[in-house]
Amino acid sequence: MTAAATSHRADPLESAHLSFARVLRSEWIKFTTVRSTPWTIGVTILAMVGIALLGAISLAATADMVASGEIPADAGVPDFGPRDGTEMLNLGWIFGQIVITVLGVLTITGEYSTGQIRSTLAAVPTRLPVLWAKALLVAVVAFVTGLVSVAISYAATLPILDPHGAVPDLGDGETIRVLLGVPLYLTMIALFALGIGALLRHAAAGISAVLGLLLMLPLLGQFITVEWFQDIAEYFPMSAGSMITTYATDGPHLSPWEGFGVLAIYVVVIMAAAAVLLRRRDA
Amino acid sequence: MIEAQGLTKRYGDKLAVDNVSFTVQPGRVTGFLGPNGAGKSTTMRMAVGLDHPTGGTITVNGKPFAEHTAPLREVGALLEAKAVHTGRSATNHLRGLAATHGISRKRVDEVIEMTGLHAVAGKRVGGFSLGMGQRLGIAAAMLGDPRTLILDEPVNGLDPEGVKWVRTLVRYLADEGRTIFLSSHLMSEMAITADELIVIGRGKILTQGPVQEIIDSSTRASVRVRSPQASDLAARLQRDGVTVTSVEESLLDIAGLTAPEIGEAAASAGIVLHELTPQRASLEDAFMTLTADEVEYHSADVAHSEGALQ
Repeated sequence: MTAAATSHRADPLESAHLSFARVLRSEWIKFTTVRSTPWTIGVTILAMVGIALLGAISLAATADMVASGEIPADAGVPDFGPRDGTEMLNLGWIFGQIVITVLGVLTITGEYSTGQIRSTLAAVPTRLPVLWAKALLVAVVAFVTGLVSVAISYAATLPILDPHGAVPDLGDGETIRVLLGVPLYLTMIALFALGIGALLRHAAAGISAVLGLLLMLPLLGQFITVEWFQDIAEYFPMSAGSMITTYATDGPHLSPWEGFGVLAIYVVVIMAAAAVLLRRRDA
Repeated sequence: MIEAQGLTKRYGDKLAVDNVSFTVQPGRVTGFLGPNGAGKSTTMRMAVGLDHPTGGTITVNGKPFAEHTAPLREVGALLEAKAVHTGRSATNHLRGLAATHGISRKRVDEVIEMTGLHAVAGKRVGGFSLGMGQRLGIAAAMLGDPRTLILDEPVNGLDPEGVKWVRTLVRYLADEGRTIFLSSHLMSEMAITADELIVIGRGKILTQGPVQEIIDSSTRASVRVRSPQASDLAARLQRDGVTVTSVEESLLDIAGLTAPEIGEAAASAGIVLHELTPQRASLEDAFMTLTADEVEYHSADVAHSEGALQ
């Protein structure tokens, strides 16, 4: 602790300057050095696999009851096929989106609640690279987490679904789209949550707002039956975005990719607003 | 070098910084002195682009801070202790900041060593004392070996050894030709540490210049005289340019005369003196004089408070 130690003007410092790759590396270090990160990712994967197992077990149980005559053959239970198996193992996104929301919101609001944001923005005063780096980071992490969850779910449910001929058909293009729909949907939710978190700058407010928008709006749709509300209901973020995780049906007006596009538009608008305000507001 | 021109910051209807202009020169330790709420922190935050000025400009090393390609090389800032995620270790916090500029792990270890944090570097910052938080903030400020240091209340919460270390450090860095801008509400600290002073109160610059000049111009030296014939002496000394204040029954505070002049006057009049002490004006006094009307939070005087308690 001597002042003389500061006289050392290290040569490597001469090449020190900002770049996006470096800001990204910084965000990665920050992301991986708080305990909440492994926890949220671990909980996401566990919950998603657990839900897939429950779905597969209940499918198998129903199929067994039909086979043993406990459920009459004319009760309207269809023969299960690979697509039913796919939808069962895909159910995990419903819980996964909640944890991914927490991850996305905390990635930015954790910096505001602790004061870290001032250290961050004093090092990167142009500010926007920080937001884009965080966005890239949470998007990739959410995608990989979703992908790993689906892969483990596939493997874990294989022995349960196989006897009933309900193992997802990986040779079917639409099945691949449905399975990849889960990581894609979670990616958008992570960005949605990050954007809302950046706008509100407060963890509890951000998480409530995102979950409110995702979960409450469709819930309202079940009770508010006026026609115009029903018409807009399929454009709600979760309703539209999650279409990518299921097979196309004749019902809604939006195709799965259109629905995903609607969610992407929300994300773009929110991130744009977050970027403008991040530049404009005092930190 | 830090230059502010007509710098103004308004929060709602409160003017935090009011048309402030100053220059902080390299090679000097410049103190930024003012009572709490005077606008010191706001000004420093504007220097590193955290707050946007409502009017005017502030530049660091010739440019607005955000226009530098290597901000950490230009300015190291300690703006508040523990502007750090509480769940991260000190080392990881510094690694994260260093990474934005491609600063090596070696440099991170250097600043940890320099600030005496090696024993706690692996611990989570949430458990740090205020003093350790300050050291971590200074370590972060030193990461880029910056040409300019902005330190907001750097000695807050430090133990005496830490305070001495900060003084030595800023003196050393200034002697290397760097620009050092540090704030404090402790005038005594400034008197020891700073070469130049900028005194601020309620968002306005009250005075700026070399420390000694500010003390000299803001206070008058006085002499304390104790005498059983105090009122006699007072009557004899009263004339233009001399202020005699009766502190208590036999104690006078005399400004405008030197101690020898008073002693000789007393001797020639046959007045007995029990005490004759020249009073050196301190920066504290200068500060109180300067900011008497500018303090945002006045405390009631102690005697009055005691009366209220009875």
